[in-house]
Amino acid sequence: MISDIKTTEITERIAKLKSNVLSARSTICTERAGFYTEIYQEFERSPVILKRAYALEKTLKKMTIFISEGELIVGNQSSKLRAAPIFPEYVTSWIINELDEFEKRPGDAFYITGEQKQELKEICSWWKGKTLIERGYSLMSPLNREIHDSGIIRAEGNLTSGDAHIAVNFEKILDIGLGGYLQSIELIQNKLTDSDARFFEKQDFYNALIIGIKAFQTFIRRFETLSFELSQCETDLRRKSELVKISEICNSISENPPSGFYEALQLTWFVQLILQIESNGHSVSLGRMDQYLYRFYKNDIIPGKINEDFALELLENTWLKLLSVNKIRSWSHTRYSAGGPLYQNVTIGGQTIDGKDAVNELSFLILDSVGRMKLTQPNLSIRFHKNISDEFLTECVNVIGKGFGMPAFNNDEIVIPSLIDLGIKKDDAYNYSAIGCIEIAVPGKWGYRCTGMSFLNFMRVFLAAMNNGLDEMSGKTFHIGTGNFEDFNRFSDLMLAWKDQVGFYTRATVEIDTAADLALEELVPDILCSAFVDDCISRGKTIKEGGSVYDFISGLQVGIANLGNSLAAIKKLVFEEATISKETLTENLKNNFEGKDGEKIRQLLLNYAPKYGNDDDYVDKLLYEAYMYYIDELTKYHTTRFGRGPFGCRYYAGTSSISSNVPSGSVVPATPDGRKAFTPLAEGSSPTSGTDTLGPTAVFKSVSKLPTNKILGGVLLNQKLAPSALTNETQKQKLISIIRTFFETLKGWHVQYNIVSRDTLLAAKKNPENYRDLVVRVAGYSAFFTTLSPDTQDDIIARTEQSL
Amino acid sequence: MLTVFNIQRYSIHDGNGVRTNIFFKGCPLRCSWCNNPESLDPAPSIMFDERICHKFGECRRIGNGGIILENDKLVINRDLILDTTVYNNICPSKALIVSGQEKTVLQILQEIEKDIPFYNMSGGGVTLTGGEPLSQGAELIDLIIQLKKRGIHVSAETSLHLPWETIENYVNLIDLFLVDLKHLDNDKFTEYTGGNATLVMENFKKLDETGRKFIVRVPVIPGFNFSSAELFAIIDFAAGLKHVSEINFIPFHALAKEKYLMLGKDYTFGNHRCIEKSELKPFTEYAERKGLISKILN
Repeated sequence: MISDIKTTEITERIAKLKSNVLSARSTICTERAGFYTEIYQEFERSPVILKRAYALEKTLKKMTIFISEGELIVGNQSSKLRAAPIFPEYVTSWIINELDEFEKRPGDAFYITGEQKQELKEICSWWKGKTLIERGYSLMSPLNREIHDSGIIRAEGNLTSGDAHIAVNFEKILDIGLGGYLQSIELIQNKLTDSDARFFEKQDFYNALIIGIKAFQTFIRRFETLSFELSQCETDLRRKSELVKISEICNSISENPPSGFYEALQLTWFVQLILQIESNGHSVSLGRMDQYLYRFYKNDIIPGKINEDFALELLENTWLKLLSVNKIRSWSHTRYSAGGPLYQNVTIGGQTIDGKDAVNELSFLILDSVGRMKLTQPNLSIRFHKNISDEFLTECVNVIGKGFGMPAFNNDEIVIPSLIDLGIKKDDAYNYSAIGCIEIAVPGKWGYRCTGMSFLNFMRVFLAAMNNGLDEMSGKTFHIGTGNFEDFNRFSDLMLAWKDQVGFYTRATVEIDTAADLALEELVPDILCSAFVDDCISRGKTIKEGGSVYDFISGLQVGIANLGNSLAAIKKLVFEEATISKETLTENLKNNFEGKDGEKIRQLLLNYAPKYGNDDDYVDKLLYEAYMYYIDELTKYHTTRFGRGPFGCRYYAGTSSISSNVPSGSVVPATPDGRKAFTPLAEGSSPTSGTDTLGPTAVFKSVSKLPTNKILGGVLLNQKLAPSALTNETQKQKLISIIRTFFETLKGWHVQYNIVSRDTLLAAKKNPENYRDLVVRVAGYSAFFTTLSPDTQDDIIARTEQSL
Repeated sequence: MLTVFNIQRYSIHDGNGVRTNIFFKGCPLRCSWCNNPESLDPAPSIMFDERICHKFGECRRIGNGGIILENDKLVINRDLILDTTVYNNICPSKALIVSGQEKTVLQILQEIEKDIPFYNMSGGGVTLTGGEPLSQGAELIDLIIQLKKRGIHVSAETSLHLPWETIENYVNLIDLFLVDLKHLDNDKFTEYTGGNATLVMENFKKLDETGRKFIVRVPVIPGFNFSSAELFAIIDFAAGLKHVSEINFIPFHALAKEKYLMLGKDYTFGNHRCIEKSELKPFTEYAERKGLISKILN
């Protein structure tokens, strides 16, 4: 079954396109902002859904389009390669405030011309008082607004961006084509009678959908025309025929379902692109690409219409298209998503609806193409299940060995049963895909933000619990506590204090989410995104109004490992062994371990209390208990769509917190796990960096003791892997065997690997305390990297560079 | 009680599958290149990493003059320290640790059992190493019996530098022996290890006669056995045995350098160069020609 892929190098064409994208400076495009503003001004009194339909229509008809030299897949997001469009209807304040700083950002800089600055200033001045963020804040209670501003809960991304975190129904789009969608909308619209209570809203909605899809078709046909024109003046015969082909494809897919793999991939990209022109949320995902594209692939490859090399080139061209999409976020939000990622996820592998291994030749081809490109997009996820072949896993491990952090694994063995427990239909549960980084949803049937609602900073809450509710950073008591830590007589008093505080803040996150969701529903409904998610059309509702089949969402809890480690340190060192008194601990947390004996206290906390990630029930059970207080409270609440159509409308937990552990840590004073003030918190569900000293099997055990079946927003685990761990087949098979054990036996949720780089080792040499987990594994011998002599460290660093 | 200085999970270079290595203290040999110098003394040893010392002074408070501050530097007078265990868990930053903890069979078992799912999936198990595990005595036999009861595969890495009567006790208990073959020449063996090569070679033959398959492990040490004549002789000896399932070459590395410093010991091999895997190719090829399955370990 497995195709024998001989090509190991990307083609000259792809290499050139790759270098174009990678060398393109990030700039700003004002076209979309201009079109949207003009339409909103012109149609000020029209319903918002129509305003947005007209604005989308104008953008798709008028925006600059181009076809780059050599590209086989066409369609651009903005006027220039890697130019980020502006979405003034969401927020303008940070744009105005940061306009002169875009170029000066220490990371993720954007270049902007003086003319553009002037244009944006004018555009933004019109939007004052009309934007999403202003509406969102006005819907928050004064208390919640204060909590939000204190940084304990952050929901900025929800109010400055669109929703996204979604995969639309690609399968159906490829099945019926855009023409088919238009017909089905018209059919339903024709049946609409004014006896319907929502007659007017539905009429507007259907009209908006029709305008949107027709504009989409026009957009595709503009590429038909452009490529035809280019072909006319093209002298290279090979390129000329390519351009004619592109023109034919665009002509056909603007109306009809695709007839082959090339057409299907081009339409898939157009849909992915258009969703990101309409709205500016990230994590717009492609779902199970190896499944919905497979029939096209098979139909073309068997009669020899295309060959593998060409299919690879098309896929690689598509990945470059994904990378060409750009997004500018406010500086504060950028820190939560360092590196400017768009998290466009592609999921492969997994099972068919009847429980069989779904891996096919296209799965291998996608994996191979992503491995050859080594880009940050797509975000490639593998759905693991117990019958997945070692052959496929070996290929996955080979790609992991290339050291760019992909692919990641999600585990069917925990996700599918958990989805079925939630009440998801079996066929749908078996069809889930990863969204964004690691979170999951049923593509085409699930609403926005299966994760990505507000961020709750667990450690700020924990410190408030120790402080009778006082949040020291803001100097405010948002919720009066159960006492001061010094007055707690038993460890259980502390646990109760945590339960009480986290309960309060959990409710606050939901209230803040509700404000954001109501504002999003009211001001920025998505037209095309709703068109392509079931059952928006039959219900006559946008996703935000309750159009989707399923609706489950989650926020992100930051500081998971810190919470467990803090509880364990206090229980053991303060209450059980009395090594540290309550007063001493409180004082040291207040002065950041900088007083007399401060460092000694910190070292005791670091070295003499169990740490999460070492398979130690003492701390793992405390973390479970503490996390469950949050989860139990969370399950009491509903989303704004409750009772309006979708199944579910509930919350679950999530830890897929991207790079937010760094900025989240920057607003947290010292914590009882020995962490100094304002340093990063632990990432996702991973152990605190440097504290998991017993190796990967112990980490797997600890992580799998979390209530993973209730953290469907993602149990993020990043693991470091020494390059030497993948030097030969035996090592690779051992890695596969522990991944299998983690998933099959321990029911782990997710894992992804970062190959330990030279930079990491250099950092470890400099700051050994933070890297005590780096093990040098050699036959008959073992030592931690940080205990090696400096010259030996240098030697290993030098070798690492070679092997990478 | 058994004295263990490390229980290392996810060991992937010492035998099949994912293994937990139990490092025991005490060794009859004193190989001058030894990788694990903390293993030699059967009693717990003090190790001190100056780089992470904060000079909190907890160790000096023990107050027998064993550890003092001189010119703002911590000095450990190992001769004055009769009982190292008083320093156990005394240093807040763990710059000073006592390597080697007395553990009961049950305590060791509990650690081993934690990774059973990983052994099962990978075909792994436990590797007893050290030091010289087979010189541990009756309690080790208890441990192995408990492991067998749980169906856990047991390997032992041994120097065979023990009376045959001792080794014999383990023959039917250990699933796989990983046996060091360092040198055939008695004088050189004695000079570099303090031991007796004849004893080792005789035990090899006796082990071979039992019919149990075993793996021969050759540490390749510059200045000791890293020459064609010496290594070919070693390979010839191994090839002359009937039940060698594999021969493994372990190239010298100087990773242990800092551990010597931490133990306050001199390391004569500290500045020896490391051997590249590629330099061992002629020997693996020779071993293959002699009919041995041959590998170079990391």
